[in-house]
This record gives sequence, structure tokens and C-alpha cells, in this order.
Amino acid sequence: MNKVLLFVILLLPAFFLLYNVLIIEVNDPIKYIYTFTGTCAISLLFFTTSISLIKSKINLLKYRRMFGLFAFFYAFIHFLNFFVFDAELDIDFVIKESLDKPFVYLGMISFLILFFMAVTSIKSLYKKYNKYHRLVYIVLVLITIHFVMAQKALSVEQWFYLFVIFVILYLKFMQRKSLLTNR
Amino acid sequence: MKFESVNLKDKDITSEELFNNRRKFLKLGAAAVVANSAVVDLLAKDKYPTSNLNYKKDLNELNLDLSTFDQITSYNNFYEFSTGKEKVKKLSHTLKPDPWSITIDGLVEKSFQIDVSELIKKFSLEERIYRFRCVEGWSMVVPWVGFELAKLIKLASPLSAAKYIRFETLFDKEQFPDQKRGIFGAIPYPYVEGLRLDEAMNPLAILSVGLYGKTLENQNGAPIRLVVPWKYGFKSIKSISKISFVADEPLNTWQKANSKEYGFYANVNPNVDHPRWSQAKERVLGKFFKQKTQLFNGYEKEVGHLYANLDMRKYF
Repeated sequence: MNKVLLFVILLLPAFFLLYNVLIIEVNDPIKYIYTFTGTCAISLLFFTTSISLIKSKINLLKYRRMFGLFAFFYAFIHFLNFFVFDAELDIDFVIKESLDKPFVYLGMISFLILFFMAVTSIKSLYKKYNKYHRLVYIVLVLITIHFVMAQKALSVEQWFYLFVIFVILYLKFMQRKSLLTNR
Repeated sequence: MKFESVNLKDKDITSEELFNNRRKFLKLGAAAVVANSAVVDLLAKDKYPTSNLNYKKDLNELNLDLSTFDQITSYNNFYEFSTGKEKVKKLSHTLKPDPWSITIDGLVEKSFQIDVSELIKKFSLEERIYRFRCVEGWSMVVPWVGFELAKLIKLASPLSAAKYIRFETLFDKEQFPDQKRGIFGAIPYPYVEGLRLDEAMNPLAILSVGLYGKTLENQNGAPIRLVVPWKYGFKSIKSISKISFVADEPLNTWQKANSKEYGFYANVNPNVDHPRWSQAKERVLGKFFKQKTQLFNGYEKEVGHLYANLDMRKYF
């Protein structure tokens, strides 16, 4: 698989989003953008961290950075949606909400960590900062809570997503444990 | 707000058909200029139903900008079908709203059952164009058709011990798929809501049986639902099968599910945030820019007095 093709595929959801917001005109665009970009970011993030789990079967390690950056890209649109459309560029409001409401600050902390990881994913910086990229595990936990908090009540599908998330987290945990003990 | 009848003669009113035709004509004109699939979609979107109810029109003195029929009928919170607001419409065909009888019991002179069709015959219907504000932060404007809840209360003649009114949505696993799911159901069923009796007697509180002149679509709570426009949408319970008069405050479903976030009163209030999000503004369906939310959803004049002595931070 080549990188250009993968790039285009990962960009497709963004076009789908634009199409639904601008052409189909969904009823509640701000809410729609939240749900859509949130789902993309969280799925890509869990997928990206699972790449090392399946590397003996399918080795996607060389694409891992691109997957991760796209996860950040969708998280960034998610953040912009909050800042530009939902908060209407009211910085005081954004700060107040971020300090005030757990739902908002969990998302905000996750976004800041992802931002840091995206910036330090450049080759020259990665050498120095890659050990901090383990912060992604904190992000995975925080955004899972953020996702649950975004719902008024959990549906059957959402319980299923949570189940998948816990399986991945468990496998990652076991993997790290064996890495540490075999060292 | 007043809902007095004005002497309009039939000929003064543009017939709905003509009104729709004019819209269609204008849109066809537009379509001819930019004939593409998007315009065809728009034509389909703005379809309005043929009226099948007799009712007194609301003159819309506040000049509220009505949400389209499509918006009102395709963005619904009805957890008995799905938690997905856009999925409800497709799933709601399992509900059978006709015939439908309501049980009225509790602290009344005599319990009884009455059919919705009978209620419609008994009470003359009127249109009420109301703002509708969901606790989730979106809002719309709906031309409901119904009758004042006070009329039904008078018919039921509650005893003086009755202080609250309790509503229940139908519980029927055949008609409501999420009720089958047991512990995996989204919320506890049957759905319960309640009002203080003086709130229920307020002229703004209606039982709605239709919107845009037509009997309610299933996804909007057919055949009969409560509409209390100064409260968050979840108070406006759908597909009511039972109304009871009680002495104590009923435990409504959302309070039962999550009492930290949802209370009994649920009055629209921009100054009291939901723990997870601000309630200061709202997203009007179909619009990208938000508008300010008003205290009691803009009905302070009509209902403010009901809460003169209530701490609305505590009793949210």
C-alpha cells in the first residue's frame, strides 16, 4: 500500500463530513460535527495504538505516524468546532468551561497531549521526545471517559464500543507488561 | 400571550394547498435555473402534510420562525426506539397509535378510560406555536395542535388531596424495541413525567395530538403528548397511556436515571448550567449560529409567578 493512497483514504471522512454539513444540511450541524469528528479521532487513535499489537500479522508500523496524525487532525476539527462554532470565539467562555466542566477539560487535556505528540512527531524532535509519546495511554483513558460523558444514556452499540475499547486496553496492558518483564 | 379568535373568514386564509403550491412554484423556478440534485432534495425536504384536523389557527403574534415539518419529524429524542435522534423516524413504525386509550386514575372522583379520538371530539382543538428547547442545547419552533391540559384536569375532577399530576408513556415491548432490552435499555421504562398541579393548570400547558395541522407522527409521540414549552423537552412526555393524580412529587425518569443532572422542574434557564455543558445559548435546528436562551424559554410573563418562591439552582 502506498502512502498517498492511505492519505486519501484517511481524508475521505473529512469530505463526507463536508458533504453532509454543506450539501445535505444536517439538522444540528454543530452536534453532528462533534459526533462525527469525535468518532473518527477516537477510532483512529485506538487503531493506531493497536498497530503494534498486530504487527506480527500485518505490519503497518511504517504508517503509524500517519494514522496518528490523522487522529490528531480529526481531534483538531473537533476542537475547532468547540472554539469557533460552539463557543463562537469567546475565549473567556472557552477558558471558563475548560476549567469548570470535567466533560470539557478531559477533552481539552487530551487535545493538548495530542497536539504535543503531533508537533514532536517530526523526526528531529521525535528522538528526544518519543518517550513522552506514552502519554497516549492517558489520552485513551480520558477520551473514553469523555465519550461516555457525551452521552445522556448509553445505547447497546455504545456498550459494544466500550467493550472493544476495554479489550484493546487490556491487550496493550498485557503487551507492556511482557515487554517490561522480558527486558 | 393571547389566543383569541379573530374573525377570519375562510376566504381570507390562503389554503394550505395554494400556500404549498406557491412554495413549490418558487422552488421550481429556482430549480430551473440551477437544476441539480441538491435542489431536488430541497424540494423533497420542505414537503408539508395535508391537514386532517379541525383547529383554530395560532396567529403567531410573536412572529416565531417555524422549523420545517422535515426538521420536526426527523430529529427526535424517543429512547423507546433509539438514542439516535436521526434513527427514530425510521424505527417508529412499530408504534400503533390508533385506537389508543388513556387511563385516568389516582386521586380523582372516579377513575376512567378515554379514547384519544373521543378527547379530540370533546375538546375543540387549537394551534399553539411554541418554542421547544431541548436540555441538550438544540431548539426548534413547533406549530402544535392540541387542547389545554387544564380542560382534561377539569374533566377528571381531581380530589383536593391531589397536588401533582403524573404521566406515563405506554409500556409495550412489541411497540417499543428498547423496552425489550432489559438492563441494556437506555433508560428505565415506562417513561414517567410529572408536573405540580398548578403548573399543569397553566394555560400554556397543552396535550398535543398534532402538528402542522396533521395528527402526530409516531416519532413525535403519537397519538397524544404533553407540551410544556417553558421546560426542557424531556418534560414533554410522549405517547401517554396513563395520567394519575397524586399527592407526592412523582419521580420522573431522567431524575431517576441521573439525579445530579436532571431534576423535577427542568425549567429552561440560561443561568443554571447543565453539569456538562452551558445552557446560556441554543442551537436552532438548521442554523449554524447559536442564539441566546431565554429564561423560561421566553415564557416568563406567563409562568414566572409559579416559581416566585423557588430556588431554581437547587430545584433545577
